[in-house]
Amino acid sequence: MNYFPDEVIEHVFDFVTSHKDRNAISLVCKSWYKIERYSRQKVFIGNCYAINPERLLRRFPCLKSLTLKGKPHFADFNLVPHEWGGFVLPWIEALARSRVGLEELRLKRMVVTDESLELLSRSFVNFKSLVLVSCEGFTTDGLASIAANCRHLRDLDLQENEIDDHRGQWLSCFPDTCTTLVTLNFACLEGETNLVALERLVARSPNLKSLKLNRAVPLDALARLMVCAPQIVDLGVGSYENDPDSESYLKLKAAIKKCTLLRSLSGFLEAAPHCLSAFHPICHNLTSLNLSYAAEIHGSHLIKLIQHCKKLQRLWILDSIGDKGLEVVASTCKELQELRVFPSDLLGGGNTAVTEEGLVAISAGCPKLHSILYFCQQMTNAALVTVAKNCPNFIRFRLCILEPNKPDHVTSQPLDEGFGAIVKACKSLRRLSLSGLLTDQVFLYIGMYANQLEMLSIAFAGDTDKGMLYVLNGCKKMKKLEIRDSPFGDTALLADVSKYETMRSLWMSSCEVTLSGCKRLAQKAPWLNVEIINENDNNRMEENGHEGRQKVDKLYLYRTVVGTRMDAPPFVWIL
Amino acid sequence: MAKEGLALEITELRLGLPGDNYSEISVCGSSKKKKRVLSDMMTSSALDTENENSVVSSVEDESLPVVKSQAVGWPPVCSYRRKKNNEEASKAIGYVKVSMDGVPYMRKIDLGSSNSYINLVTVLENLFGCLGIGVAKEGKKCEYIIIYEDKDRDWMLVGDVPWQMFKESCKRLRIVKRSDATGFGLQQD
Repeated sequence: MNYFPDEVIEHVFDFVTSHKDRNAISLVCKSWYKIERYSRQKVFIGNCYAINPERLLRRFPCLKSLTLKGKPHFADFNLVPHEWGGFVLPWIEALARSRVGLEELRLKRMVVTDESLELLSRSFVNFKSLVLVSCEGFTTDGLASIAANCRHLRDLDLQENEIDDHRGQWLSCFPDTCTTLVTLNFACLEGETNLVALERLVARSPNLKSLKLNRAVPLDALARLMVCAPQIVDLGVGSYENDPDSESYLKLKAAIKKCTLLRSLSGFLEAAPHCLSAFHPICHNLTSLNLSYAAEIHGSHLIKLIQHCKKLQRLWILDSIGDKGLEVVASTCKELQELRVFPSDLLGGGNTAVTEEGLVAISAGCPKLHSILYFCQQMTNAALVTVAKNCPNFIRFRLCILEPNKPDHVTSQPLDEGFGAIVKACKSLRRLSLSGLLTDQVFLYIGMYANQLEMLSIAFAGDTDKGMLYVLNGCKKMKKLEIRDSPFGDTALLADVSKYETMRSLWMSSCEVTLSGCKRLAQKAPWLNVEIINENDNNRMEENGHEGRQKVDKLYLYRTVVGTRMDAPPFVWIL
Repeated sequence: MAKEGLALEITELRLGLPGDNYSEISVCGSSKKKKRVLSDMMTSSALDTENENSVVSSVEDESLPVVKSQAVGWPPVCSYRRKKNNEEASKAIGYVKVSMDGVPYMRKIDLGSSNSYINLVTVLENLFGCLGIGVAKEGKKCEYIIIYEDKDRDWMLVGDVPWQMFKESCKRLRIVKRSDATGFGLQQD
């Protein structure tokens, strides 16, 4: 490669798009590092506190697309206080100052304000794509700025955000000249929607491929929208309460038949299930179906719908489908790659939930399955062993038995052997979530066999520090380790400090680590930010001596090249 | 550490700092909590109207995860999804609104947890702190009768159809004075 001029090498690099590969290229030699950094357009930052915007821009001045992640994963489950951090404003300010030609911004678990959205909308002439996932802190006023000011907006994709809906007219802020929309997803908005503005927007967006509506969009509006957008590929239905004899419903049926490019269906946020048959004509084309928010769709209506979906690759569903329903999935959806079964009843009813039988049926019927998230009432080692045999190709295996510490319900044994079988058989396993009754043994298996494991979630598991040590010593590719309510302490935490340099982050809450253990760690590893999150008593830990034997409630540590962050709230103590 | 039965195991879990018994809901307390819902409503039925929102909302709050293991953030469902789930749950065949003539606020009861008309009457009598509510055939003797709005938006007399059928079609309940009932176009035998 030394014989080629830089432009040729750069051209070759253009074909290398994955972040991992580009990172690898940049390490080959100084010359490649230089060429790579000037040609890099897309950057992924898994932890916004690992680096700062100034250093990012110095290295990648031609940045066009940035992905940032803020809060740790357990923030999803209310384990991280709201004001912890993950603010996007400083990033947008720095990017704006540097005049970089930003076109795409993807944020996950970050705090976004209307001010940041307004600044974003005004600072980048070619801004095209905004994707916000599980973010918070903004209102529909911020969306109005984006709509009004981003002349070439292609994607506005809001997934599961907490947005304060001011019931304003943000949709009418899209100028009449805006005809470039490809993605419009506002399903998570709670308030009313200006239907007229929405219809006109969709009518003038010939490139619109993905449209996800909120529950305020009723059936007759849906019918009109689908008439305007027969080219739709990905549809999120808002409200689906209908009268089968109404004109709107007949219009909808006719419109759906014309949507021959439709491949992905979701939503049904308010649904009367008996009219789902309107969608049957296009079901045979569907590759993705997300009914996990459609609590009113179950039983025979759901089964009938699924029986038409023979090409399904991705299915997100509620556990009200039951084991029998999963058997239907197993016999119908032979192309299934990803399945998520969410709990429909968090109130502890446990009525039509799923068990190990459903999981076994799926594993037997769907040979291409590689990702699963399964909330269930009970599990057995035998079932997991069978699943491992049927599906050795798992990349992601996340099992959540609803009751913590529940053993094999037939043998009353821990589920060590079952999970052991999974990690032994699934050589490509990258992500694993454990549940049920588990001893140190399961971690021995994980350390021994899970060579590709990058993310591990542990809750109410293990007996001694040995458990955690098996994982830290064995899993060479570990990036994110998150542990709650497990008896791991300072010995495990401090055994190999250099390990944390190879990982993105470690989370430990309600474990056995002590303040002095954390302090020792922080001393040994100045390139780590060791954060103690202590909501209850701000400075009690510091004042009370107790030789630091006090247990730390929440510990979050991560590697960083920019030292202690300056925006931590008072209840976060960075050692 | 040998793990034997389940229930005891769960009570041994530490969910917070040692000595921190109050900061998080204790796991074994949750089953008590569920029972408290009804008894709370019984004793608070005599509350004045200012408390109407708190009464109704306390019912909603109790309906937040009352799972056997009530650890914070468990089961690991993201908060957005959890919120949607709670909204759905209180809409599901479970909670229906109940109004009573002469009472300025409504209540909500979990129809799903009642198993018979007699049980329903008892619950309602306790809820509103009165006696003399009757269903269908017995209604002739009682001061009040119960009517319900069904899926077709018709108001029907409670007690005519089998219990299960009634449960599935009942959208809301209303307790009216027998003497006022004739003006409602009820379907009577």
